[in-house]
Amino acid sequence: MTNATDIAGLPGRRSSHGSELVLAGLGVALACVAPFWLNGYGLYLLTLTAIFAIVALGLNLLTGYAGQISLCHAALFGVGAYATALLTSKAGWPYLVSLPVGALLTTAIGAAVAVPALRLKNLYLAIATLGFGVVLQKTIFEWRSLTGGGGGLSLAPPTIAGHELGATGLYYLALAFLVLGLWGAWNLSRGRTGRALRLIKESEIAAASLGIHIARYKVTAFAVSAFYTAIAGGLFAYLVRYINPESFNVGLSIGFLSMIVIGGLGTIGGSIVGALFYVVVPELLRGIKDAPGLVFGVVLVMVMVFMPQGLWGMARRFLGRR
Amino acid sequence: MIANLIVGGLAAGCLYAMVAIAIVIVLNITDIANFAQGEMAMLTTFFAYWLLDDLGLPWWQAVAIAAVFGLVQGVIVQQVIIRPLIGSPVLSAIIATLGLNVVLNSVAGLIWGHQTYTFPSPFAFSAPFHVGGVAVPVTSVVNIAVGLAIILGMTLFLRATWTGMGMRAASQNQTVARLMGVSITKSSAIAWGLGGLVGGIAGILVAPAVFLDTNLMGALLIKAFAGGVLGGLNSLIGVFLGCLALGVAENLTSAYLSPSFGEAITFLVIIAVLIVRPEGVFGHVKVRKA
Repeated sequence: MTNATDIAGLPGRRSSHGSELVLAGLGVALACVAPFWLNGYGLYLLTLTAIFAIVALGLNLLTGYAGQISLCHAALFGVGAYATALLTSKAGWPYLVSLPVGALLTTAIGAAVAVPALRLKNLYLAIATLGFGVVLQKTIFEWRSLTGGGGGLSLAPPTIAGHELGATGLYYLALAFLVLGLWGAWNLSRGRTGRALRLIKESEIAAASLGIHIARYKVTAFAVSAFYTAIAGGLFAYLVRYINPESFNVGLSIGFLSMIVIGGLGTIGGSIVGALFYVVVPELLRGIKDAPGLVFGVVLVMVMVFMPQGLWGMARRFLGRR
Repeated sequence: MIANLIVGGLAAGCLYAMVAIAIVIVLNITDIANFAQGEMAMLTTFFAYWLLDDLGLPWWQAVAIAAVFGLVQGVIVQQVIIRPLIGSPVLSAIIATLGLNVVLNSVAGLIWGHQTYTFPSPFAFSAPFHVGGVAVPVTSVVNIAVGLAIILGMTLFLRATWTGMGMRAASQNQTVARLMGVSITKSSAIAWGLGGLVGGIAGILVAPAVFLDTNLMGALLIKAFAGGVLGGLNSLIGVFLGCLALGVAENLTSAYLSPSFGEAITFLVIIAVLIVRPEGVFGHVKVRKA
C-alpha cells in the first residue's frame, strides 16, 4: 500500500516542506484578500467552504488517517452548533468563549462515541455511528425546552467585545480557525500520532505489536475530529443564523465523508479541496434540480473506482511528487 | 391492543427483514455492505409504478417485470461499480455504495420529481383476518408470508443448490472455491442480482403502506441494518429474527414508553448489542481463510 511507503518515506520528504509552506502561505494570503472582490453571496460561500474545510480536516484525521468511518459527524456538527448557540444566546456568554466551550462539550460526546468504536470495525462501526447520529439528532429535536425542537433556533448576530460581527468578520474568524486547524492537523499528522494512526489503518495487529496503544489513539482521533467538527458547527450556526435539527442528518454525514474522499483520504490538502468542491460544484449546477446530488454521487463513485487517492492525490501525482 | 401492536410489529419487521436479507446476501458473499440497497429498491418500486400507471399493466405482471428489473439492476451495479473495486479496502466499497445511494436518489428525483404517489395494492381493501379475536390486516399477512417465503427460498438456494453452495464456498475461501470450478465474479453477480430482486419486492410491498416518493426506503434501510446487526449479519435466520424483534420492540416502545423516542431507543439497544456482542445475538464469528 502507498501508506506504508509514505511512512517509510517520511524522513526523506522533510526537504519538500519548504514548497508546501509557500503553497499554504499563498493560499492563506489569497483567502485574506478574497473578501475585497466578492459580493455578499460569494463571501457566504467562501465562509461555508472554510467551515466545511475545518470539518473535513477533523474527519480526515479519523477516517483518512486512522481508517475509522463515521456517520455521526453531522450530528456532532449539530451538537457543536447548538452548544455554541445556546451558551451564547441563552447563557449570555461571549461568542469567543462559548465557541471553544461548546466544542469541548461536543468533544466529550465524541470520546464517548469512541468507546464502542474500540470494538467495532468497518460496517459495524458505520452502523454504530449511524445510530449515535440518529440518537443525538433526536435528542436535539425532542429537548424542546432547551433547543426549541423542530421549530429551530434563530440567532442574533454574534458580538465580540461589544462589536457586532458582520459577514466579513465571521469570514476572518472562520479563516483564523481554519489556519489554526491546518496547523494542528499538519503537526498531528507528521508526528508520532499521525504515524500511529496510519499504521492502525493498515493493520491493527502490526500496530499493537509495535507497542502502539490502539485504544488510546482511536479515542484521540475521535475526540480531535469531534473538536474540529464542533468548532465548525459553532461557526456554521452564526453563519446561517438559523439552525434546525433536521439539517444535521445522515445525508450531511455522507456529505462530509464525500468531501474527504473526493479531496483525498489521508491528506491535508485534500480536505480543503474536497470542501471547496462540495460547496462550489452544487452552486455551478444550481439551476438544475437534483443535478448537484447526481454529480456528487457520480463523482464519489468514480473517485473510489478510478482514483482512490482523490483529487489532491491526482494533482500530486501529476506534479510528479508522491 | 397489545396483540395488535405485536402483529403490526411483525409485519413491519418482515419488511425490514426483506431489505436486510438483500443486504446480507451481498454482504456474506462479497463482504461489501450495500448502503445503496434502499435506493435500488426505491428505483425498482418506481419502475413498477411506471409499468402500472403509465403502461397500465395488471398488478401481477408489473410486479413480475419489476422483480426482473431489480435483478438486472443488481447485476449491473455489481459489474460497473463493485467489480473494479475487488481487492481495494472495504471502506472504499462502503463509500462507493454511499455515493451510489445519492446517485440513485437524484436519478429518481430527476425522473419522477419529489412529490408523493399512491402505489396501489390488490390487498388494500380486503377484509382483515380474525385470529383468536385479533384483527390481522391482509397486508400484514402478505408481508409475513412473503418474508417467510424469501427466507425459506434463500436458505434452500444457498444450502441445496450447486450454485448456492458454490457461492458459500466462495465466501469462505476464494482460492479453493476457484480451484473447484466456482466463478467468483459470477457468484458475486448472482448475489447482487438476488439482493436487487429481494430489495425490490420489499419496496413494492412497503410502498402501498406509505406514500411512494424518493425517500421511500431511507428509514427502512437504516432499520434493516439495525435489525440485521441485532440478529447477527452472517446468519440469515438471525437477521430475520432480529428484524422481527426490532419491529415489535419499536411498536411497543412507541406505544408504551415514548412515541417520539421509539427510534432512538431502538438504536441505543442496537449500540448496546454491538458493544456486548458485536457478532449479533444469533451470529457467530466468521472464520475466513485468505
